[in-house]
Amino acid sequence: MSTDSKPILEVKSLHKKFGELHVLRGIDLTVNKGDAICLVGSSGSGKSTLLRCMNFMELPTAGSVAIDGNLVGQESGSFEGAPVFEYKEKELIKVRTQVGMVFQQFNLFPHMTVLDNVMEGLVQVRKMNKEKALDIARENLKKVDLWEKADQYPSRLSGGQQQRVAIARALAMQPDVMLFDEVTSSLDPELVGEVLKSIQDLSRGGMTMVVVTHELGFAYHVAQHVMFLHDGVIHEQGTPDEVLKHPREERTRAFLTGFTDFNF
Amino acid sequence: MIEFEWNFALLVPFWGNFLRGALVTIELSVIVIFSSLLFGIFIGMARYSSNKWLNIPATVFVEIFRNTPVFVQIVWFFYAFPVIIGIQMEGFIAAVLGVGLNMTAYTSEIYRGGIQSIHKGQWEAAKAIGMPYASTMRRIILPQAIRRMIPAFANRIIEGAKATALASAIAVGELLHEGELLAQALYRPLEIYTVIAVLFFILIYPLALWSYWLERRLRTDEKVKL
Repeated sequence: MSTDSKPILEVKSLHKKFGELHVLRGIDLTVNKGDAICLVGSSGSGKSTLLRCMNFMELPTAGSVAIDGNLVGQESGSFEGAPVFEYKEKELIKVRTQVGMVFQQFNLFPHMTVLDNVMEGLVQVRKMNKEKALDIARENLKKVDLWEKADQYPSRLSGGQQQRVAIARALAMQPDVMLFDEVTSSLDPELVGEVLKSIQDLSRGGMTMVVVTHELGFAYHVAQHVMFLHDGVIHEQGTPDEVLKHPREERTRAFLTGFTDFNF
Repeated sequence: MIEFEWNFALLVPFWGNFLRGALVTIELSVIVIFSSLLFGIFIGMARYSSNKWLNIPATVFVEIFRNTPVFVQIVWFFYAFPVIIGIQMEGFIAAVLGVGLNMTAYTSEIYRGGIQSIHKGQWEAAKAIGMPYASTMRRIILPQAIRRMIPAFANRIIEGAKATALASAIAVGELLHEGELLAQALYRPLEIYTVIAVLFFILIYPLALWSYWLERRLRTDEKVKL
């Protein structure tokens, strides 16, 4: 094993503005191999935007993102002391295959079967032949326990099953890190567990991940590191025990008292 | 009621004229429909694009052809356009340009509306697995959008087939024009225009039946719910 441990993903002084709205105000975040990092905070705190900047679904206004030690983009100026970058679409396409993402709304392709959903990126983006793509798709659908639904269309599946297919679709691209954006927020309560379990299994299997979630119990059990965002800055961070059980900051405490059903 | 003795038997020897006209109507319709369905995709995508070099010309095109009568367009392409480009133009070509470009303006709007109706999550999901714009459009967006566009296309196709009759004004030998010629020769306009109307109905009604069938099929095709 190499002892050279470059972070898989490193964000420095990240800023994001939507027009006049300054959503992220200088965020630093380092993701090492095998990490499970949870981002928590109230709506509008910027946690989803931060996640979406990490795979360039949103382009950062300023600040750097490095994947496997390689800076993404060309430096072209500065903003509030942070470097500003220009990005080429080709480069971003490559980055997105290294950083997988799962969405709140699943966003499965409704006109394709479960299997075709998972194979699409392999065949179209990775230019893999069908047999090899099928092998990888099968392996990943088995990981989320849905191989038996391979020939179904998404509309025939429950929300929880659809979300697990979305996880398999992202996993199939064999990303270095997975981003989960409130993936249980649009599920019926009884379906949340199966999705969280799939994510927990992945984490135990060594998958590196950054998870935006309102499920604090999940954050407590799965994350090694919890970050509390407020008004576009990281207000408090540490182990789940430090941040969720013994918060130092007043804001963190105020946020946590909003969760009455928060059991460990 | 006015005394008038209908005599359709008189027209029987001229069935060849009607057939010739019907064939030209079909030919004109097929060309206009297929080319507008094809070119409409590109104009529609250009209209949807945020790139102003694509968007502005496409918008100008659509607005010009949607907001002038198709009849005026046909006449303009026959009389004025040849003067501008300096070559004589056959009536048939002028009719293809007039009806075809008008149709393209409409089909492009159907494409644009259909593309816009697809949830942005579909674009994001494709982007997140590294799909570039063109393959996202081809593999993810259009296959879903086209299903939603089918009823609108069916209407448009029927409109297009009917609009070909306007080409009679520039002496294109389609069904109506053949009828006009016969009417002048035989002095039996009532029978002739009645036959023409019935023939148009026979040609176009199957398109309406086809559109009902498609709509029914789309409704019952549950397994792919969009």
